[in-house]
Amino acid sequence: MRRTRPDKVWTIALKEFSEFRRNRYIVYSLILMPLIMTTILPMVYLLPVASFASDPPDEPMDLGIETIEIVYGGTVQNGYYNRTLFIGVTLGNIVALSCRFVDCEMNYCLLRNSDISDSSLSECVVDRCNLDNVSRFNVSLKDSRVLGEPTEAESTLLLLLDAQMLFFTLIPTILPTIIASYTLVGEKLNRSLEPLLATPTSDLEILTGKVVSILLPSMLVTWICFVPFVIIVNLIAGPVLDYLPLPDLTWLVVVFLLGPLFCLVSILGNVIISSRVNDVRSAQQLGSLVVLPIVGFFAVALIGVISLTLPYLLAFALVMVCVDIILFYLATRIFGREEILVRWR
Amino acid sequence: MIKTRALGRRFGATVAVEDLSLNIKKGEVFGLLGPNGAGKTTTVRMLCGLISLSSGEAYIDGLDVKDPEQRLRIRGMIGLLPESPGLYESLSAYRNLDFYAKLYGCDPKCRKERIKELLQALELWDRRDQPVAGFSKGMKQKIAIARALVHEPKLLFLDEPTSGLDPSASVTVRNYLLDLKKEGRTIFLNTHNLDEAERLCDRIAVLNTRLLAMGRPNELAQDYFGRHLLVQVKEQETLDLSRFNDIPGLVKVTLGSEGLCFTLDDPQLRAPEVVRRLIREGAEVQQVYESRKSLEDVYLRIIGGEENASR
Ligand SMILES: Nc1ncnc2c1ncn2[C@@H]1O[C@H](COP(=O)(O)OP(=O)(O)OP(=O)(O)O)[C@@H](O)[C@H]1O
Ligand SMILES: [Mg+2]
Repeated sequence: MRRTRPDKVWTIALKEFSEFRRNRYIVYSLILMPLIMTTILPMVYLLPVASFASDPPDEPMDLGIETIEIVYGGTVQNGYYNRTLFIGVTLGNIVALSCRFVDCEMNYCLLRNSDISDSSLSECVVDRCNLDNVSRFNVSLKDSRVLGEPTEAESTLLLLLDAQMLFFTLIPTILPTIIASYTLVGEKLNRSLEPLLATPTSDLEILTGKVVSILLPSMLVTWICFVPFVIIVNLIAGPVLDYLPLPDLTWLVVVFLLGPLFCLVSILGNVIISSRVNDVRSAQQLGSLVVLPIVGFFAVALIGVISLTLPYLLAFALVMVCVDIILFYLATRIFGREEILVRWR
Repeated sequence: MIKTRALGRRFGATVAVEDLSLNIKKGEVFGLLGPNGAGKTTTVRMLCGLISLSSGEAYIDGLDVKDPEQRLRIRGMIGLLPESPGLYESLSAYRNLDFYAKLYGCDPKCRKERIKELLQALELWDRRDQPVAGFSKGMKQKIAIARALVHEPKLLFLDEPTSGLDPSASVTVRNYLLDLKKEGRTIFLNTHNLDEAERLCDRIAVLNTRLLAMGRPNELAQDYFGRHLLVQVKEQETLDLSRFNDIPGLVKVTLGSEGLCFTLDDPQLRAPEVVRRLIREGAEVQQVYESRKSLEDVYLRIIGGEENASR
């Protein structure tokens, strides 16, 4: 196999760029679509939530508890307790009034006017208590104060933020379908590939030139749009969360690793599709099917089956690398001189 | 320059070209004629190393078109004008040519000069910065011809260069091709335009899947029609044709709508004798000329002959 010459690849990519510049559909979609997704949509999503956010309580209520007894470790079942300090106790079926619980585990309890910290509750009724770092399962809370835990607004904001990762993978996936449908199908209809194939350029150089010419603007736009996105998100969510949520490592992986991988899948998928269709519209319709697996992954993630954490994202990236390799192989098979001249019609 | 032996190409069950053997010398202008679907374009594509051969072999300047490495070198030294111009419509004429010049590896300075030279020769220099989309069909065709020439190829393949051009544009292109011929470039021309083939080509071949005939245009005419001397005389019906049978070199003599037709081995050599005999027979000679059958007649005869044969 011959070496791929970068100068030929770049010459082809430059030619493609000059063509894009003159196609207003491509220019509009390169500018408008990402801009809307990364500036207007986050505002629409995040602003209402942020504006309803209330400051989380940082002081416990003064309940005037003075304990007079201590239970240390062990298990306590049934009974009524008053002004008792429990440390590291497993409790079940008790009723407690004006007690303190530290490092405890409670099931089926009724707790009133108490301090609970570093503990876990399940199936409990809690009335007028201070909770600090307490995990809860099926707990009914009344007039209580929860500390060290995000408020509803905060967790909604974080969830919405996760959902917007989808945009940063959608942009580099959708842009190539638009660009490729015009350039590849256009080139085919215009029959401008034949003279190009007659030049001393290898098939792989031509294919690579086309891939690069779509990959570069798509990723560049995505990355440029990441900047206003980070600023907007930090401006809106920062004050509510009391820290700047972006950029974090997960996001960097999505934008700089998954994004390009999706982009490549989309480009190669579209190269393959373009060889089989003869008009721009069906190329776009078929090409947009490439988006489905990506939306699928994020849909599954947002339902909560998997979490958008680093290991999952990296595993998904690995899958995408494999898909890219397979598609590239297929594309090189389809993007051969003989294949183009004899079977593309 | 071009050498093929038993070249053939099938597309599934269709045989596009079969058993084509050519030998085209350097500096020659070779015309390939044939009806639609005869396999002309297929032949050119095979020779340019764009599609593979089903059978036989082909060499361009000694390089084997089947070998991938040599193919790349072949592509570097040939220029191809495909059937449809296939320009980048949104780019300017200059940018189109510049792109190809870069791909052919011309250096920036000579690129500029060469493009200017070509565009001026084809009368399009003034419109160099306009997008090709606004050009007429003929102008596009000229740009496509210029594109095939940017790297000064030794060998030029032209697939129907004047199709869709108006007569004066055809003449511009044709004169330009004649200039190229003078420069000593080898040109392989596919055409339907027989008049053009006759004017430009040193040799022509008639193809209809198989090679039907090949030779210099005028030789082909003789091969297919013999050589004739046409004579117009007053009251030609009264002449007894059998009295001319002993003229040396005569094949036959007939009376047609164009007058008396003497089929001879060499009309120029025999003309004085024919005239002398006519006068001796008392004929009043009005006009004597050698009939030249146009390439069109030849072509139709060849293609027609094949159709009859296949019936
Ligand atoms: N890609 C292809 N797939 C199938 N058959 C093909 C293909 N290309 C050409 N053919 C067939 O090969 C034969 C020769 O076609 P070709 O294009 O070489 O003819 P041509 O002499 O150039 O005709 P024209 O004068 O119309 O340009 C035709 O019968 C055509 O149908
Ligand atoms: Mg043809």
